[in-house]
Amino acid sequence: MNDRLNINFLGNKLNNPIMTASGCFGYGLEYKDYFNPNELGAAVLKGITMEPRNGNFGTRIAETPSGMLNSVGLENPGIEEFKKIISSIKKELHIPLVANINGKILEEYIEIAKEVEQIKEIEMVELNISCPNVKDGGMAFGANPKMARLVTREVRKVLTKPIIVKLSPNVTNIVEIAKIVEEEGADGIALINTLLGIAIDIKKRKPILGNIMGGLSGPAVKPVALRMIYQVSQVVSIPILGMGGISSTEDAIEFFMAGASAISLGTGMFSNPILPVEIKKGLEKYCIDNKIENISEIIGAAHPDGGTAYRNRLGGNYEVKN
Amino acid sequence: MFLKDVKIIENTQVADNYYLMKVEGNKIAEYSKPGQFFMLQCKDHSRILRRPISLHNVDDNILEFYYEALGKGTKEFTKLSIGETINIQGPLGNGYDTNIKNKNIVVIGGGMGMAPIKYLIKNLKDNNKITFIGGGRNAEAIKIIEKFNFKNIKIEIATDDGSIGIKGNTVDLLKKIIKNQSIDIIYTCGPHPMMLAVAKIAQENNIRCQISLEERMACGIKACVGCSILTKNGMKKVCYDGPVFESTDILDLNVIDPNGGCK
Repeated sequence: MNDRLNINFLGNKLNNPIMTASGCFGYGLEYKDYFNPNELGAAVLKGITMEPRNGNFGTRIAETPSGMLNSVGLENPGIEEFKKIISSIKKELHIPLVANINGKILEEYIEIAKEVEQIKEIEMVELNISCPNVKDGGMAFGANPKMARLVTREVRKVLTKPIIVKLSPNVTNIVEIAKIVEEEGADGIALINTLLGIAIDIKKRKPILGNIMGGLSGPAVKPVALRMIYQVSQVVSIPILGMGGISSTEDAIEFFMAGASAISLGTGMFSNPILPVEIKKGLEKYCIDNKIENISEIIGAAHPDGGTAYRNRLGGNYEVKN
Repeated sequence: MFLKDVKIIENTQVADNYYLMKVEGNKIAEYSKPGQFFMLQCKDHSRILRRPISLHNVDDNILEFYYEALGKGTKEFTKLSIGETINIQGPLGNGYDTNIKNKNIVVIGGGMGMAPIKYLIKNLKDNNKITFIGGGRNAEAIKIIEKFNFKNIKIEIATDDGSIGIKGNTVDLLKKIIKNQSIDIIYTCGPHPMMLAVAKIAQENNIRCQISLEERMACGIKACVGCSILTKNGMKKVCYDGPVFESTDILDLNVIDPNGGCK
């Protein structure tokens, strides 16, 4: 019965459409005491940069109503260390691995893309142009249509691996940016990164986060994520990796119906570390109960046309080719 | 590490905002070390993060949590009744090094930092000589000590308002002890300024000192990197590499990091 969740995602056969959100799953093995990470469809690893980064100073986490702010600021050991640890990760994780790459300037994006191209353990690349927590680069690329075009174009030139461009929701027109990255050769789009926000400590009369602003995630952002996926999937012809506050099977189904081909879990796992396994079981049951042969049948089901046009545009992009 | 619904068998107010919760830990108990912590889940799922709560004591198969009701999540915990369950994840973190024999030890707990002290002292056996210094704002803040039931250890108390013990702080008491005795190791948990002062004294006197740090965290298992601090050995996660650190790894960092250890 597991076939019902098999999908083809950017040329990779996934056992199911459940992935992890970068920055919420460490480097793939942190959750193994709670579930076998090989039960996932694929794992998106924590964002990496060319040089090691210490991340932001001060408090990095603030809980907010049905959500949380984070301002980690891409703390990571850098590409050289990543290259050293990736083979041991792959020994335990046999599912496709997605590297999330980041840069401060265009040249750094190109440089790290070249590095990742050479790493055989990495199947797909998530191009992060939407981190709200680094002062330069990151969101500066994702929020500016010209920069989004440039960085996608240049990274595409050096990467043959499938590229998922992770977009920022902190923009006026998400559809415009999505179309641009598609034009420049993105194989998929990840929606959404976190929404920029602030929380204030009223006793100290200061923002809670050391970096003042942080990225909002969790159920609070779910309607925004669904809206953006719904809008984007009606105009693009590439798959969308949907994320933003998914905490249950029902949430996951909403994301598929909005137009996501696969989903990523992040903040939801902090409270419920076994969420991926629960959603996997829940989706299997949902498919059986509703006589759905494959989960990809409901991609875009909430569109005015029931998603037919989008699924046709995706063509064989989501179907499992035997 | 366990992820389990456990039954609450006691949940009482100790003093002020301080509460003591006892749960049936069963198998979890035997894997739990002093200084480790658990992530406790709120029933109200609009509070999406678990609360990191230090392990206070293990009594047979019973786990005890001493906690302060400060925010909405911990206030929710105070309303849980006997017989209800709570989902706990853990034990997490490294815990104190208790493999110490024939030593002269000082243990210092300040306010909420009293949380890991009971189980720590219980585990320091093997002919160690132990002095415990407890301190807090007032008598309420240190009322938990009445439940410690320590035998054969010296207890010294200090409160800010002098309502019990000496009027002063734990650091004053430590200084006095160090004048008269040779101390091998200091364990401490409490407010950052207190631990900083303790760590400095330890360093000046060449005494090994283990401190337990606290940071806001989301996952508790080094996946989110929310609780990272700068140490002399690079960035470390309080949830995984800590919460217990050697004070020398934290003190006198060349780089000024407001998130780095003792604030």
